[in-house]
Amino acid sequence: MSLQRRNNINIHGAGQATMVLVHGFGCDQSMWRHMVPAFQDSHRIIVFDLVGSGGSDLSAYDQTKYGTLHGYAQDLLEILDHYADGPVVLVAHSVSAMIGLLAANAAPARFAAQIMVGPSACYIDDESYRGGFSRADIEDLLDTMAGNYLGWSSTMAPAIMGAADQPELSVELTNSFCRTDPDIAKHFARVTFLSDHRADLAHCTIPTLVMQCTDDLIAPREVGEFIQRAITGSKLVLIDNTGHCPHLSAPDASIAAMREFLAGSP
Amino acid sequence: MTDAWRAAAADLWEQAPCGLLVAGTDGMVLRANATMCRWLGYAPAELVGVRKFPELMPMGARVFLQTHWTPLLQIQGSVSEVQLDLLHRQGHRVPMILNAIRRERDGRMQDEIAVLIATDRKLYERELLAARAKSEAVAIDLEQAQLKLRQSNDALFAEQRRKDEFLATLAHELRNPLAPLSNLVEVIRLRGGDARLSERELQVLSRQVAQMARLVDDLMNISRISLGRIDLRLEPADLAPLLKYVAEEAFPSAQAAGLTIRTELPAAPLWANIDRARLTQVVANLLNNSVKYSLPGAHIVLRATAADGAVVIEVSDTGIGIPPDQLTQIFNMFSQLTPALERSQGGLGIGLALVKGLVALHGGTVEAHSEGTGKGSRFTVRLPLIAPPPSVARETVPTLLGLGESGATVVIVDDNADAAEVLGMAMEMLGYRVTVAHSALDAFRLMAASAPQAAVLDIGLPDLNGYQLAQMIRGEPWGAAMVLVAATGWGQESDKRAARDAGFDLHFTKPLDFIELDKQLRSVLPKRG
Repeated sequence: MSLQRRNNINIHGAGQATMVLVHGFGCDQSMWRHMVPAFQDSHRIIVFDLVGSGGSDLSAYDQTKYGTLHGYAQDLLEILDHYADGPVVLVAHSVSAMIGLLAANAAPARFAAQIMVGPSACYIDDESYRGGFSRADIEDLLDTMAGNYLGWSSTMAPAIMGAADQPELSVELTNSFCRTDPDIAKHFARVTFLSDHRADLAHCTIPTLVMQCTDDLIAPREVGEFIQRAITGSKLVLIDNTGHCPHLSAPDASIAAMREFLAGSP
Repeated sequence: MTDAWRAAAADLWEQAPCGLLVAGTDGMVLRANATMCRWLGYAPAELVGVRKFPELMPMGARVFLQTHWTPLLQIQGSVSEVQLDLLHRQGHRVPMILNAIRRERDGRMQDEIAVLIATDRKLYERELLAARAKSEAVAIDLEQAQLKLRQSNDALFAEQRRKDEFLATLAHELRNPLAPLSNLVEVIRLRGGDARLSERELQVLSRQVAQMARLVDDLMNISRISLGRIDLRLEPADLAPLLKYVAEEAFPSAQAAGLTIRTELPAAPLWANIDRARLTQVVANLLNNSVKYSLPGAHIVLRATAADGAVVIEVSDTGIGIPPDQLTQIFNMFSQLTPALERSQGGLGIGLALVKGLVALHGGTVEAHSEGTGKGSRFTVRLPLIAPPPSVARETVPTLLGLGESGATVVIVDDNADAAEVLGMAMEMLGYRVTVAHSALDAFRLMAASAPQAAVLDIGLPDLNGYQLAQMIRGEPWGAAMVLVAATGWGQESDKRAARDAGFDLHFTKPLDFIELDKQLRSVLPKRG
């Protein structure tokens, strides 16, 4: 199966340096709608969908491979091997910040820098560590996921695949950006929210920016500060924003922070 | 717009059959209708400008709001049919269905949200989900059961095929000796009269019968072992003389095949707990195997040593050898290396399975070694070595003596007329006076009239069984002291006990060894006077 089809890979822009944007838990590459126009003059931009999300090939979803974030990190490195020449700038949201971290730890030479948007290394509180969630909260989320198909049914699946190319159709398909197979969504939610990659942070050697929202339920400020402390030489920037998606709800501030960081990076 | 219409619209907003709520993009509640407030147990003043929409939800729903709901509103401006629990002011959950649109009003973006209570729908959906999970589990179980069934069918099929092949081999092997036998019968018939058999004819007869007997014995033994119906009579014995004897027995067939057999036995005795007959069978089978699978000119060596607390018996040859992948399989039943009917060597392919079973019953092991095809084979049997018994009993050599002119009277009862006839002839040669009967009642009448000293009773008779006949005999004055001998197909302890209980003195397994029968009868008869 082609990598392009597996991960629904799209390339924008024609800049010298390559920037890879990786969406987080919930939706798909359309999350980057404000980032792509902002960076496509300066960068060649690779966007894609994690397997199991958006327009990826759902038949490639293997519960064992994607039972840990390492499966996704492996996919990311494969995509870089095929679509990027030199080291890339990685912009990764939410759970994908940890996917990016695992990939960068495995092959640091492939990355020039990384920007972690609303990252969390561990969602569940653990002794003195505060991730913001208890196990019961996560179970409650899984339960909520189970009750929400967001318009999913097997007969709808083919329509979803085509929707990205036909904006007029996507208007008809409400919830289309978050639509996915409920079993996959639930499994991905479990893998995401039960992951703990605190120990991997210290192995990171690439320039890192932690972009943290001022009021984010999913990644509280302490979590962003914890990550910044754990990655030697990393920077933390606070975006004045309520919610978990500053790149959607506070795009201008996000773009400015990213540009500033990139200007200062080698 | 009239005042009446305005009042109606305001009333519709407040009392609509759905909850309505307007929130800013930061989540702050800007308006909430009376239905919404009532469903959640709040006064409007407790919500508007005070609480954020996510604060009305449990944690799972709040995460879902951030990861799905908000991005959807940001990207496509609307979200529909989202199912979330909202929290009542008193803390309990209220399952709801939510639709929302994000749009600009008075220069500000706001989210307009409509909610419906979905308690029943949620319960119903939970039941559907549970039913689906259950049916999926059943489907998986079914699939696994079918897989298992298929595997066991395949195994049965393979087993069936091996048995079919075995039966074909068996028929073929039993037919082989029958051809010379029936030819010999024809020759005798054509010659006519009472002409005696020549020495050569006798040899043919005895060789072919021995071959058939060996096949049938192997067959019976292997099925006895696999049914757990074999009892060994273990006794301490020195293996050296036994091995020497077995090798000597194998010399003629080896010589006929152009092979040599050499024995390498230690001067000192090798003591082990063995059933002589069975161990003889083991070694004879191994030697026979070497003879079968060696080409003319090959050498066979039978070697025995004591090592590491074990007696090690080795049969090695310079024959055709064994491919490495077959080394462990050759001890399985029906596992001849070449397909059944393509061989010229004969045999049922159960010889090595029999060896393995018998050695195991002795508490020993057997292994095969070969460097490969054409490199010869070596079979190694290990049995536990034991200390020599304190006093070695001198073996008594049976003497073949008849009872003299006053020969004892014996009735032989068997519905197989030929078997009865032949046993009768043999007993007469040994000096007995024999009469034969073919049913229980005939036998009983005969015995009542002649009161013989002994009777040999087959158990499976057409009218009464042998046990019943024995009980009847014991009930008669003339039968109380008669020596009764049972002949049964199986030599199990339970058969022997049944025979004893029915009043039998002796028990023999068919086919009867008449020399042994004579020996035992003679030890019993005089006491009876």
